[in-house]
Amino acid sequence: MNLLLVTSVDPWVRSVSTVHRWVAAGRALGHEMAVYGIPHPELPSLPFTTDLSRVDLALFIVQVSWDFPDMPYLARLLDGIPRERRVVVDLWGRYNETIRLDHDFNHLEKLDGHLGWEWEEAIQAVSGTILQPSLAPLRPDVRSFLFHGYDAGSVVKRYETAREAAAAWSAAGPAERPYGLMYVGSNWQRWDQVRRLLEQYRSAHVEIGRACLVGWDWGQRPDWAVQMGIMGIDTDPALLAELDVEVHNGVRFDEVTGLLGQARFVPVFHRPLFRRLGFVTNRTFETFHADTLPVLMLPREFVTAVYGPAALALVPGADVAAHLRDALRRPEIYWDAVLQTRAHLALRHSYAQRFQELGELAGIQPRSGAAR
Amino acid sequence: MNILFVMKHRGNAGSTHAVANYMRIAPKHGHSVAIYGTPIWYVPELQFSEDVQDFDRVVYLFESELYRIKPLQEVVMLATFPRPRRLILDTDGMYNPVVIVDGYDFNHRNEAERARWIEHLETLGDRIAQTTFARPRNPRVSAMTFYGYNPALQIDPAAAPPKQYDILHVGHNWWRWKQVSAELLPAFEQIRDQVGEIGFVGLWWDGPPPEGSAAGPEEAFRSDPDAFRRLRIQTSNAVMYHDVIQTMSTARINIFTQRPVLRHLKHLTLKYFEVFCADTIPLLMLDRDHAEAVYGRAARELILSGGVAEKLLDALHRPDHYRSVVEDVRRHLTARYSYDRQVEELVAAMPN
Repeated sequence: MNLLLVTSVDPWVRSVSTVHRWVAAGRALGHEMAVYGIPHPELPSLPFTTDLSRVDLALFIVQVSWDFPDMPYLARLLDGIPRERRVVVDLWGRYNETIRLDHDFNHLEKLDGHLGWEWEEAIQAVSGTILQPSLAPLRPDVRSFLFHGYDAGSVVKRYETAREAAAAWSAAGPAERPYGLMYVGSNWQRWDQVRRLLEQYRSAHVEIGRACLVGWDWGQRPDWAVQMGIMGIDTDPALLAELDVEVHNGVRFDEVTGLLGQARFVPVFHRPLFRRLGFVTNRTFETFHADTLPVLMLPREFVTAVYGPAALALVPGADVAAHLRDALRRPEIYWDAVLQTRAHLALRHSYAQRFQELGELAGIQPRSGAAR
Repeated sequence: MNILFVMKHRGNAGSTHAVANYMRIAPKHGHSVAIYGTPIWYVPELQFSEDVQDFDRVVYLFESELYRIKPLQEVVMLATFPRPRRLILDTDGMYNPVVIVDGYDFNHRNEAERARWIEHLETLGDRIAQTTFARPRNPRVSAMTFYGYNPALQIDPAAAPPKQYDILHVGHNWWRWKQVSAELLPAFEQIRDQVGEIGFVGLWWDGPPPEGSAAGPEEAFRSDPDAFRRLRIQTSNAVMYHDVIQTMSTARINIFTQRPVLRHLKHLTLKYFEVFCADTIPLLMLDRDHAEAVYGRAARELILSGGVAEKLLDALHRPDHYRSVVEDVRRHLTARYSYDRQVEELVAAMPN
């Protein structure tokens, strides 16, 4: 299959990591892969093209309005590839009625200039095959396609047994693993969850290690959000200082997994909108590539359905600090859950699986070729 | 055929009035016309629509700005109307080589800007029409009059507003200063004490737009308010498109000018026709061949080229004679440029 990925890529945000994995996995499976557009100087390993002549399928990866190319590329794309060979994967729940949850939303005109019906019409106009990264999309005309995946080859450190993993994890000193807890991701609709976690972590902080937030806008609420009255990018610098939380700006996508390994524990949060929609994200899977113990701050049903039942051991109860202390005392149990979950993810959520699913959803038989 | 225009719509400039005429006439021929967008309260007669599925064809009308609708709307538009169902209408000569007239007015600042326009237009569609009466040199381009003459809009002298001015110019100060300062002001100087009020209606005669260079080249808005004051020339702001003809009718003489690059490219504008609907004597700052090509032979007498002061006085002194000339021109325009014909021309130009 000659697959064209249509989206905007930015080394610092959104789904650039997953796009890289799609390209790598596609090539390994013998597919021809490219991102539509001109080469991005900061992303040298991504192949870009504007040649539409041999495209079997164009996958529109939609998060923000500029994921649709600008002119003249947009007209060339829509004129060059028939509608039946286009598929939209709607990663941010745009193709839904307008949803408001706390400060979170799927449409907000004052932020991007677009109303809900404009999103709906644009997505419908592009393709009749609309997918969302949820096991149970809300709308009947949307089909489930998780898009993001787990890449066993990207696991930073492989362990044969939970005992081996637990021993390595416990033995790591401050130079190798300077943080007790780390969250990597931008401050976008996650503050309430992060604040609750950090407040609970307060009592375990000395025992486990310092907490660290890495991402944009944790240090202070950005001026543009204040001026536009956009909530959901809240933060509390005084509280972060009181809790001794280290704050750093965002990192490139290709530094994330290595960085996560600098902490004993890494929470996985989903923003309120995604929790409601049951969406997965890149970090849902990528966290299991890192050499760390994931803490799944997610609904148990979701965890079972996506990660498998073993991952329930990684879901803390009401007392997060107690969960972390227990993991510190009995790491093997938790690493056993991690290894079982990795095996489940490799089996059920590999990129090879995603290619198969996409081919079926698009009505295209994926042509495998020799691995390159 | 149901035709949707994608265009920058403004009540006081551009092609909005022409499209309003298409909206009015098209149903008589079994067609419908609307502008993409939401209704504007102060021009309720204009039909707008965002229901693109209700239309068969789209016309992208470009003036001197590469007008774009919102990104997601653009996705819908392009996905709904495939390339063969799009017509590009170039009213300001942008789909041309770089043209600079007398080192002053131009269609593009430079080759890079031109290339951006050409790429955009050629990507949008195969068929490009220009509102010119010259034969386009590019085989991809067809000439289309587009603007039309609507005799129903002629002002009956009995119902015309009182004549507030002897001489009036209706139009924005957009690349017109060179002609106004070189030809009109010296003539006004000669005869100022022999004529009554002189007025300029439109934007930027008192100074450039407050937004500065973002509005366009400084040269395009050059003016001399001191000279206007000295010559007792009144200025007033632009009027809405539906008041243009009425406003022109407040003067005995209306002077017609056209920005140099459009005159050079022989592009038509709506004002070519509006000025002959007004109860006034239009005097045309056009070359003879140019005026004849549009208005017929009778228009020779209305040309304001050389001897401007004398011509102005003659028109003021012999209004009946000039009115009869105007009637000849009106007959020509009615026969050649009715909106009934224009609607047919537009539909015929639409890609099948």
